[in-house]
Parts: sequence; C-alpha cells; structure tokens
Amino acid sequence: MQARLSDKVQIQPAYLGKATIHVDAGLNRDVVRILLENDGNVGISAITGLDMGEKIGVMYHMRTDGLIVTVRTEVPKENPQIASITDLIPGANFHEREVADLFGIVFQGHPNPARLVLPDDWPANLYPLRKDAKLEEVTANVENCASCSAQHEPVQLQPQSEGKLVNIVVGPQHPALLEPEKFQIKVDGETVNDVEPRIGYVHRGVEKASEQRTYLQDVYLVERICGICNSCHAACFVETVEKIMSVEVPARAKYIRTIILELNRLHSHLLLLGHAGLEIGYETLFQYMWRDREPIMDLTEMLTGNRVISSAMTVGGVRRDLSETDVPKIKTRLEALMKKMDFYQKLYDSEPSFRMRTRKVGVLSKEDALRLCVVGPVARASGVNMDVRKDDPYEAYGEIPFKVITRTEGDTFARLQVRLDEITESINIIDYAVDHLPSGPYRIKVPRVVTAGEAVNRVEAPRGELFYYVKSNGTAYPERVKVRTPTFANIPAFIKTAIGGSIADVPANFVSLDPCFSCTDR
Amino acid sequence: MLDFLLIFRVLVFPGFTFILFFTLFCDWVERKIEARMQNRVGPAVAGPAGILQPLADFIKLLTKEEIIPRDAKKNIFRIAPIIAFSVMVFAICFLPIDGSSAISMSGFTGDLIFIMALVTVANFFLFMSGWASSNPYGGIGAARVLTQFLGYDIPLFLLALTPAFLAGSLTISAIAASQYLPFILLAPWGFVLFIIALQAELEKDPFDIPHAESEVVGGLETEYCGGKLAFLHLTRDVQIVLGAALVVELFLGGPYGPVFFGLPAFWYSLWFVLKVLAVVIVTEYVTCLFARLRIDQVLTANWRMLLPLSVLSLALTVAMATYVYPMVV
Repeated sequence: MQARLSDKVQIQPAYLGKATIHVDAGLNRDVVRILLENDGNVGISAITGLDMGEKIGVMYHMRTDGLIVTVRTEVPKENPQIASITDLIPGANFHEREVADLFGIVFQGHPNPARLVLPDDWPANLYPLRKDAKLEEVTANVENCASCSAQHEPVQLQPQSEGKLVNIVVGPQHPALLEPEKFQIKVDGETVNDVEPRIGYVHRGVEKASEQRTYLQDVYLVERICGICNSCHAACFVETVEKIMSVEVPARAKYIRTIILELNRLHSHLLLLGHAGLEIGYETLFQYMWRDREPIMDLTEMLTGNRVISSAMTVGGVRRDLSETDVPKIKTRLEALMKKMDFYQKLYDSEPSFRMRTRKVGVLSKEDALRLCVVGPVARASGVNMDVRKDDPYEAYGEIPFKVITRTEGDTFARLQVRLDEITESINIIDYAVDHLPSGPYRIKVPRVVTAGEAVNRVEAPRGELFYYVKSNGTAYPERVKVRTPTFANIPAFIKTAIGGSIADVPANFVSLDPCFSCTDR
Repeated sequence: MLDFLLIFRVLVFPGFTFILFFTLFCDWVERKIEARMQNRVGPAVAGPAGILQPLADFIKLLTKEEIIPRDAKKNIFRIAPIIAFSVMVFAICFLPIDGSSAISMSGFTGDLIFIMALVTVANFFLFMSGWASSNPYGGIGAARVLTQFLGYDIPLFLLALTPAFLAGSLTISAIAASQYLPFILLAPWGFVLFIIALQAELEKDPFDIPHAESEVVGGLETEYCGGKLAFLHLTRDVQIVLGAALVVELFLGGPYGPVFFGLPAFWYSLWFVLKVLAVVIVTEYVTCLFARLRIDQVLTANWRMLLPLSVLSLALTVAMATYVYPMVV
C-alpha cells in the first residue's frame, strides 16, 4: 500500500492496539479500496469523529482478520468535507450518517444524507459532539425541540398511500414496539418494498456525557447504555482504558470477567429466544425460556450483587471475588440449564408451527452479510465465521476451548438456532472457567488519572461485536469515548431482510436480529 | 304456570344465569390450565384457587370509565359487543343441557343449521364492533376475524353434517339422543377435524390471527374499554363454551350419560358440564402447544387442507354408515 500511495500515507503498525494508517483527506477512499481488494472479508466496525481543535479527525475502523485497521484522516473544521465510502462498503451508510449528524461532516456522494440521530428541526450549525458546542445550548435545544415534544405532529395512524405503495409508519410510539423508534415501511399489498429507519428517540448523549465524568464514573455510565448487555459495555470500556494505561489485569480477574460476560450472554440469549416466541405467538415457549433465565439472573446476583446491571467490572480487575462456595452452585444451575437445552433443541427440530413461521423468513445471504458489515449471531447465521472471542481474544477466551457456531441458511430460524447453540457453548465456557480459575488477586490498584493516549477495543457482546474507542488527554476525564453497539451495525440487516418479504413476517424477522433501541441510540 | 317454568328455564337454569357462571368457570379452568402448562400459577387470589378471578375481572371492567373514540360509529360501537354476546347465549339456549334445551323442550327440525347461522351472525357483529371503532388495528383485527371465519365456516359446517348424517336428523336434540355409541367412536376422523376447525373458529393458537398482538395490537378490542370490553371478553368466553358444547352435542353424546339416582336432569347437567370441560381442556392444550401461524398460512391450511379433508370425512362417514356399521351394530 505504501508503494501505491507513496508518501501521502503513513502506516503505524501496532498503534491503537492494532494498526493505524494516516492518510490525507482525499485518499480515504483509495485506502479503503485497497483494503477491500486485499481481503474480501473486510468490514467496517465504526467511524469515529474526533474534535481536534482546528480540525476534525475522521477514523475508519476497519476489521480484517481479527485486526482493527484504523484509517485516519483529518478535515478542516470550517469546511468539513470528505468523500463517502458507502458505495464501496454499504455497511458504512449509517456510520457516516451518524458522524454527519453529530460532527457536521459532509460525506460527499452519500446516497441518503438525511438526518439519522438528531431531530428534524435541530439547528443546522449545532453539532453536539464537537468540543465547541455549548452544553447549555445543546440542552436548551433538546428541551425546546418541537419534534421532541408530545404535541408535535399527531401520530399518523391512517396509512398514507403513495401511488401503489402504502406508507406504514411504525413508531416512534407504537404499541408493538417496546422502545421508541420510527420505521417507515413502504408496502405494496402485503409485500414490504422499503424500510426507512429513523433512530435517536432514546439518544441520551452517553458519548458526550462520558467526557464530563471521570473514568471510574464512566464505567457505571456505559453500563447503562444497554440493560441487557451491561457487563459487555463495562468490560469493553475498562479494557480500553487498561490498554491506554498498559495495565495487565490479574489472571483471576480475567477468568471472573469471562464468567460474568458469559452469564450475561446466557441471560441475553434466553431473553431473546423467549421474546421471539412471544412475537410469533408462542406464549408457552416464552414462559419456559424466561423461567429458565431466572437461575442465570440468580447466579449473576450471587456473583456480583445485582441481578441485571451487574457493576462487576472496574479498571484493574473486578469488584468482587468469586468464593469457593459459589462454584458448586454455579455448576448445578448450569447443569440443569444444559438439560433444558436438549428439550429446546428437540422443539426447534420438530415443532411444525414454529418452523413454519421462522424458516425461509428474512433470508440474509453471506455476501450481503459481509457487504452490510453485520455482526454477531446475525452474521454467523449467514455463514460468516466471525466472533471477537476467537478472532481477537480478550480476557480468558484465548485459553478456553469453544466452538464458533455458524449456519448457512441465514434465515430467522438460523439466527435463533445459532443463539440456542451458543447457550450450550457458553455453559461449557463457564464450566471450564470455574474449573480452571487461577488463584491470586482479583484486582489491582490503578491510578485515577489515565495516561495520555488512545485505544480501540472490541468485545463480543451477546448481539455481536461491540466497539469502543477511548482517547485520553492525561487527566481523570476522557477526551473522547466512542461506542459502536452491535444493534447499530445490524440495522442494515433488518432493512435488507424485510424488503421483499411479507409484512406479517416483519415482527418475527425483526426480533431475530435482537433489536435494542436504547443501545442503538446510546 | 307453563310460562313461569319457561321464564325460569331461560333466565336461571339452564338458561342465562347458568350459562354466564358456567362461562366464567370455564374461563377460570382455561386460564388455570394454560398457566400450569406454561409453568405459571395462574389466578390464585380471588376465591379458592382464584376461581372468582374471571368474575372479579368482569366486575372490575364494568366499573371502569367508558371512552368512545371521537371517530367511532357510536351506536354500532356501543351495541355490537352486546348483540354478539346475546346471540351467542341465545344459540346456547337451543342446546339440550339438562336433557332438553332452555327455550324449546325438544328443539325443532333443522335447529343445527339455525345454531350454525347464529354463530355466523355473532361473528359478524364482532367484526362490526371492531370496524366501528375506526381504528386501523381494530379494523384490521375485525377484517381478520371475518377472513378467518369465512375460511372456517364451510369446513365446520361440513363437519357438523357428519354426526347429522349418522343420526339421520338435523335436530340437535335428536342427534344427541341417538348417540348410544358416541359418534366420536363411529367417526373419529370427523371429531379430530372438527376440533381443528373449532380451534380456528375460536381464534385460538395456532390460528389466533385476529389476536396477534405483535401485528395488530389488541385486534378488534383495541379501542374498547370498560363495560363494552367486559362484554367483548365475555363474548369470547361464551364462544368457547358454545364451541365446546357443540362438540359435546355432536360427537360426545350430548348431556346423556348414566343416571344413578334421583333426577335425570341433575345427572344430565353434570355430564354436560364435565364433557364441555373436557373439550375446553383439549382446546386449551392445543393452544399451548403451538405458535401462531401467519395469516396466509392459515388460509392456505384452510382451503388446501381442511376443506378437502372435511369433504373426504363426510364421504367416509357416508360410506361407513351405509356399508360397514349396519353389519357391526
């Protein structure tokens, strides 16, 4: 690459924990293209905007072979223009729109540069994540924003037609949605023609808020991005900070973190599989799954003191040790769950109405999964072998044997089946981890002030790859925290799989992607 | 004197009051069974084992505020649930419960067809109630009720002819009385298919399309509250009792069973109640076992499977009754 782009490119291997390529503003497309030519499996993990005073940094975090390659470029603040890469990688679409909203960068050539996160009547020159955006101004705008108030535009209940197409607006307030988000579904008869998502209804400004809190406070803030995968957020954040500080956590802490993360995955998967049952009208399955999820919640409470938001992670280790007496309790509970899994597998294999509703519904091909850069069980159900735990091992995953579950069908059934199999794998991981728990301290003391530096980190959350970028300026407060949640990366998959399908399949299809709007928005 | 007896029979037993409380009881049984199958407790607070819960829910709804949407067709919105309920109860009054039905002692020729027609009318009023609410979900839910009903009415009727043919009569009391051997033994295929069609008729899983809350929220009930919602719920429960009672009359020998001592009417009522409960348990069991099908899958299942099968079932019954049973029985 150095040869082809001569001196305009600086490559810094092993920086940011991975590799970084510095390029001039005009060359970002070329670098991305070369990366794509080298490896067809390259995907984009995130695009980070960074206020650098006079300039705005734009970082494209590309994933390739278990590595994150960061393509880094800068644009002047007065005229923040950069060429869009959405035509090269369709998966960059929503990443670019988000950065455009929050940093005011114009992505030239973007197919649909409409607002994604901010309200429609947000002032044109106020970009919340820029450092010069006044906090009072942002809050005042949120409070006065007409489209955020309850009086604005009565909910359009009657479908509007547009020629042959009927426009169905689902949300932001809709009885079938558990959280607020808007989907404009264009329907031709019973067939879905197009889906236009509009997110940001539960945007809480976590990225901005974390800049005003200390690193330690941020651990508890990022946990609240998503109630379900809370431990993953906390773990990903503390790992990033530890990377910046070059802290090596004790081996025992790594194992305990692994156990908590896997418990988190178990509870998330069971919750989703039960919820999927509810969406297709299989109430019995829902009740069974959620009953079997209870012991996992109890285990989480036993280990961390909390049922849901575990607050177990801290910079330098975990906050509680795992006592010897807990081990047999963990083992018996998991053994009982393992027996139940056989029953569910039998149900998945033979229940006709369940299979009729989920098989060949919302098919996502492997090529599309790669092009749209989807992550987690959704990608694995389409035959993409990607799992951060294997590709880029963190915590104790490098030492624990486990399989990455993939399937080739790519339909709703496969996405649920992948999660069902992952539950079994998770149980085995926890089993192995408690058997091989190293002795020693479970946390080390680290200074409150973080050395200047930056790092990216990934964690395999239950819903897929979770990405964090943290930049430290040498104080107790981070300069920038970027969070890219797996649900955000999976929105394109929903659009792709819904189009061409029946409108009655939308709920089943949607739920198989494990939607979570509060973490999509952050 | 005769008038007084008639009023008692219609209003108290086996008429309105009996049907009302029996319906609430069946609702409790249903909820309890569903809960136990799903590893839950179910109603447990009101009365012993929560037996008064359906009554408590009903009274609670009656005390709630009545809200009528601005755009609703107000009169239809108000009366449609009550008419639907009344028609269902009226239909049950023609079924022999304690040996004879509430309204006429021995029914009249062709009252099977009359009752099936009443079921259709009641379903039509349910559709009207959803349609009158002028809410898209109510409208879609109502349209789904009708779509599904149109699909299952024909097979259900064809299957109801199976016992009618075996008994050689279209009068329900005659069909019930002629079952020395319950028709479930003579035409088990008809019974199984009838239960399947009934499952769709009663809008229960795997055919509860009109209640798909992830798609149509509350279906036709979306805009209803207070007393009208109470009546809609009650209509649904009465519909289940009516469906189960039809199965009992057509396939399980009606209210007839061994009389041990005392009044036959007492024993007949007891047998009737027990048989209806058995059918309710079966339908609830099926409900718990399946996921909801998609509306196109339901309609395909109906037209491609259930309709031909019910024709076949009728043909098989005719053949068996003509050539096989005379030699055996």
